[in-house]
Amino acid sequence: MPISKNISRLMKDSSWIRAMFEEGEKLKKQYGTENIFDFSLGNPITEPPQALREELIRIVCSDTKGMHRYMSNSGYEDVREEIAAYHRETAGLPFTKDHIIMTVGSAGGINVILKSLLDPGDEVIVLCPYFVEFRFYIENHGGIMRLVDTKEDFHLDIEKIGSVLSKKTKAIIVNSPHNPTGVVYSEAELKDLAALLNERALKGQKIHIIADEAYKKILYNGTVLPNLFQIYDNTITITSHSKDLALPGERIGYIAVSPRIKNGRSLIDAAIFSNRILGFINAPAIMQRLVGGFQKNSVDILDYQKKRDVMYSILVEAGFDVVKPLGAFYIFPKSPIPDDVKFVRTLQQHHILTVPGVGFGRPGYFRLAYCVELDMIERSRPYFKKVVESLKGER
Amino acid sequence: MIVAKKVMKQMEETGWIRRMFEEGIAMKKTYGDENVYDFSLGNPDIEPPDTLRQALIDALEHPVPGMHRYMPNNGYEEVRESVASYLREIHKVNFTPNHVYMSAGSAGGLNILLKSILSKGDEVIVPRPYFMEFKYYIESHGGVIKLVDTQDNFQLDMDKIEEAITKKTKAILLNSPNNPTGTIYSEETLRELASLLYRERKTGKKICIVSDDAYKKLVYGDVPLPNIFQIYDLVIAVTSHSKDLAIPGERVGYIAISPSIEESDSLISALMFSSRALGFVNAPALFQRIVARFQNSSVNIDEYREKRDVMYNTLIDAGFECVKPTGAFYLFPKSPVPDELQFVRTLQNEEHILVVPGRGFGKEGYFRVAYCVPMKKIVGAIEGFKRIGKKYY
Repeated sequence: MPISKNISRLMKDSSWIRAMFEEGEKLKKQYGTENIFDFSLGNPITEPPQALREELIRIVCSDTKGMHRYMSNSGYEDVREEIAAYHRETAGLPFTKDHIIMTVGSAGGINVILKSLLDPGDEVIVLCPYFVEFRFYIENHGGIMRLVDTKEDFHLDIEKIGSVLSKKTKAIIVNSPHNPTGVVYSEAELKDLAALLNERALKGQKIHIIADEAYKKILYNGTVLPNLFQIYDNTITITSHSKDLALPGERIGYIAVSPRIKNGRSLIDAAIFSNRILGFINAPAIMQRLVGGFQKNSVDILDYQKKRDVMYSILVEAGFDVVKPLGAFYIFPKSPIPDDVKFVRTLQQHHILTVPGVGFGRPGYFRLAYCVELDMIERSRPYFKKVVESLKGER
Repeated sequence: MIVAKKVMKQMEETGWIRRMFEEGIAMKKTYGDENVYDFSLGNPDIEPPDTLRQALIDALEHPVPGMHRYMPNNGYEEVRESVASYLREIHKVNFTPNHVYMSAGSAGGLNILLKSILSKGDEVIVPRPYFMEFKYYIESHGGVIKLVDTQDNFQLDMDKIEEAITKKTKAILLNSPNNPTGTIYSEETLRELASLLYRERKTGKKICIVSDDAYKKLVYGDVPLPNIFQIYDLVIAVTSHSKDLAIPGERVGYIAISPSIEESDSLISALMFSSRALGFVNAPALFQRIVARFQNSSVNIDEYREKRDVMYNTLIDAGFECVKPTGAFYLFPKSPVPDELQFVRTLQNEEHILVVPGRGFGKEGYFRVAYCVPMKKIVGAIEGFKRIGKKYY
């Protein structure tokens, strides 16, 4: 029973990721998991906040009638109202429950919005390096991904973005704090982006910013995430509670549609419909009830910040060229040799697992996910040094 | 216009369902919930088994580290093993954890499966009347739906299926027990279908049966549910725990891949890819662990059977023509007038009884009654059905 031709092709494209993953697994078996430094996965070891665990028990024990039944495809009204209130406060805009749609994580939310927006051949701008799944999300719904490189410091290159805008441009995906670089876009550069898109709006073309805010609470040293709703009218944000509340396996997040979008109601209706026909139906019931009251909470960010500091110092000490991340839990150093895949294999020989930059559309770099035990990060210090030493002969 | 044209068109197609739904809500507001008899929704009013609720509390009071984290896209291995063990027992086929893929309900399971198997333009045969969402699921992934009418008793019409098969046919999508008819396809029917598909195999057509098993535990015992895995080789069944454990809002189910499918490894890789690409990523973690312990459980079938009997007898006594359902919680009687939309409106306006017109399932001239409601609602509607029966018969 042959599988879809398209899927076969896409899977072949990404087969090297699997190969690397399998090599890593082999190493773990050979040397023991404790002797392998695995920075390859964005699956945080952090547990959900204690208050959230207690609330979950309370909900289950409350035994409310019908609590596991279907609800409206957009989610529970009271939960959406709680989230709308949070947005009224943070964005200062008249959000109501109707602007919020509960989704199966942000991956589900982005798919729902793209299906609702894209006609065949419509283009979506993605800033490179990027989370590769964005490509699949866009292609699922007949769209075309237009990649635009960011600057050396991974910030927005407004000129380049301007140069790829076309009549077919329907949206731009903005992911900040950013995977894989940990960069947080500044208010100034987002305003420049808004100005660029507003020029198009004057000519009658509506381009949406789809903001993937999966890491929005993971910010360091007092960094403030600019509020895109205040900066640009046609904004849709996608939130996940995978990272801030450490619930990735439970698949819970939401879409927030700006009250400033003209005819936003039709987009919201389409998103509710798409949520249904893509097979999500609704976000998991029990998790919806749980997250409504936790909009202002998060796991311990200082814990992540400490890990970031140690990771960054190890890399700098070993001589890597790296941009210090202000958010998320990734760091994206330059590979000391141009061939990042080769370098990542060298790291593997030294028991360090990472992902090559080519996996994010930017060869010559590699990604480390430091959402792991602090102790493991500390212990990896001499290994990074050794890797760099080992390359000296080659250069 | 902001919204994608395809979505706009699909929404318009279903717009009348929404209007009826809204009229129903308005009616409840005007006359009070207790005076409206709503048989329009397949959202059961029953609660999960008490033991399930206790298992949830236990799981949360004794947390396992990492219990809310990502796991492999196909689900926890121990959960898949407990599903496989259940499948081995009921199907007498050698399922392993690698033949089980945990999904976000059967809607989620069908979508990732269709995305994994359909190339652009591939055809999927669906017997009609049918659950209309199937059309959107198929179209979302570049497929083409081929509707084939069933016989008058809602059993498969083999000649019509044979006529519909082309080089592009990739699958036939069966739903048994069926929504909206409550029919179970008989073993004999399925064997005929299997031999038809094996004959087609000889001409190079590899057609699989995708079985939507959402109602597989809601079987009333009049007719047993045939063991499809013993009847045909290329079978992929998609199951939901929405109905049997009454947890539809939690979105958990699984895909069972027949061990007879040789390329099952590549199919699983494709499913993993599709569930990431479509944004499901994995079935919700907490409820995976829960359902693993309830594979042999089910809500009380006797209660449903009793509701079916009262509802069926009510309709027959009132003069309606109706095939007696042997599973699920739906009845699909013939409308007394050809224009069932008009009849449904009359029923709504005169008797405050809400049902869904057959065209919502691709079959005009019929209407669907969902009896997954409290018994007192069914009993309360008896007189109304009688009066409307007198009017037409």
